[in-house]
Amino acid sequence: MPRLRLNYSGPLLFLLIAILLPLFLTDYWIYALTITFYYVIMAITWNLLGGYTGQFSLSHHTFAVIGSYTSALLIIKTGFPLWMGMVSSWIFNAFISVLLGILCLRMRGIYLALTTWAFAEIVKSYIRMDFEFTGGDRGLKTPLFFKTMNPLPYYYLFLAFAVITIIVIAIIMRSRIGYYLRTIRNDEVAAQAMGVNTVRWKVFAFMAASVFASIAGTLYGHFIGLISPVSGEFYEMALIIIFVVIGGMRSQAGPVVGAISVRFLAEVLKKWPEVRMVILASVVILIMRFFNGGVMEFLRQGYQRIRQRKGRNPVSGFQKLEPTQRHRGNNE
Amino acid sequence: MKDFGGLRAVNNVSLNIKEGKIQGLIGPNGSGKTTMINLITGMYKIDNGAIYFSGDRIDGLQPYVIAGKGIMRTFQISRVFRDMTVLENMMVPALTQDQSMVEAKGLAEELLEFALLTRLKDEPAKNLSGGQNMLLQIVRGFMNKNLRLYLLDEPFAGVHQVIKGMILRTIKKMNEEKGITFIVVSHELTTIQYLCHQISVLHRGEIISQGTMEEVANDPLVIDAYLGG
Repeated sequence: MPRLRLNYSGPLLFLLIAILLPLFLTDYWIYALTITFYYVIMAITWNLLGGYTGQFSLSHHTFAVIGSYTSALLIIKTGFPLWMGMVSSWIFNAFISVLLGILCLRMRGIYLALTTWAFAEIVKSYIRMDFEFTGGDRGLKTPLFFKTMNPLPYYYLFLAFAVITIIVIAIIMRSRIGYYLRTIRNDEVAAQAMGVNTVRWKVFAFMAASVFASIAGTLYGHFIGLISPVSGEFYEMALIIIFVVIGGMRSQAGPVVGAISVRFLAEVLKKWPEVRMVILASVVILIMRFFNGGVMEFLRQGYQRIRQRKGRNPVSGFQKLEPTQRHRGNNE
Repeated sequence: MKDFGGLRAVNNVSLNIKEGKIQGLIGPNGSGKTTMINLITGMYKIDNGAIYFSGDRIDGLQPYVIAGKGIMRTFQISRVFRDMTVLENMMVPALTQDQSMVEAKGLAEELLEFALLTRLKDEPAKNLSGGQNMLLQIVRGFMNKNLRLYLLDEPFAGVHQVIKGMILRTIKKMNEEKGITFIVVSHELTTIQYLCHQISVLHRGEIISQGTMEEVANDPLVIDAYLGG
């Protein structure tokens, strides 16, 4: 394999801090961080689909909802053991996501976004309408994963799963599959001409992202104890995209940084719910205007400037051969 | 045969390409040259007729399957993967042929060195000039280990003389050393004359003349097509 320029010290330090953090936190903050890890998983996996592969799906949150409802309903209505309910819901999600992936194969951009949004609305509306079966807006009580409301074991469960997701996505993106997914976003026609089976890998991206979302959704459902169609609101999807965009789309650390920083900001501003959304939206506008590569791009540029000042030039000697063509949204 | 609505883009074309040769394909604008390439590589489906490659019928196959059979192409307006580095661009065709990362990287570096693109290997392709993009697009196709037929669509259009020389050198070398067959679409008749063993002239979707440059240049049908409109 080509030599990978990976620096493990940062992520390992981050992980160590995350492991030790509950020792210094109240239950409320442990709970808030557990929810944050859920969003980390959702953001990383949407980044695989919407970021790297360029499939701008607006139904990612819906797969978490389908996961949580399927698992809960199987356990409550048919008496499945908890683990069997969860695994069955993941398989069901894989099946649904492949069907949706095939339906959306020839769609791109706004058409794909609208179709996946419509799918999300259908699922949400169904849950609301069939209230005798799903509980509707009153919600559905779900059995707890650890039989306790104490957030600490859930904290470590979500942390472990977030780490596993980060590692799996990193492995995918460094493998030949990662190359294929990136070619699809860059130029699907050229990818086909180079021998990439774009149909297969688009469906794969759809399925992989959706199954991870459903795993996160089932864990979330069995942590919260009560699920409702509110999780299927478009606001949830918008949040996931905001995490990815603020952190840095198409970077592996970006969605993690985005989810943690925005969630932290949202928690701090919780006392002022009216201004919270205004501030978050303003941050999005500022990032889009000045650093469309997100926080990671901001950090990268800052790091380069510091190194240049120290006389260690990290930039290659390559000079641009044409007037710079920097297009918004094209930053890697 | 290929129709676009009421327009017949390619009609009754019978083109036999000899293995190991460089075939030129010329014709006025809108004569159907690029459509021919799109048909051979599966980008367009033919409405009528058949396309054979080494005895196997290939019309109706998906473009990626055709690429797997050893038919590669370039595009008139270079289509590199802009956000991927030059090296990553090179590795894609090899990876689709189940070559390992190490093999793909090794071969890519070898070819980049030959094409004098080594110093740019870690740059995103979007930073390259138009000519370098075209050169990258062409050498990328050689990463397909099964490559037997290479279709080049206007490979010299808008390209600096130095890079043009490099492209010519690459085509000649790959043809002579590896026996790769080429179909070169170009408006540059002197370059086509220098490069190609045989030339076909396409006009209004039909082959109107075939032979050496001297033969086709003196064909009244060709003169009429170019001058008569």
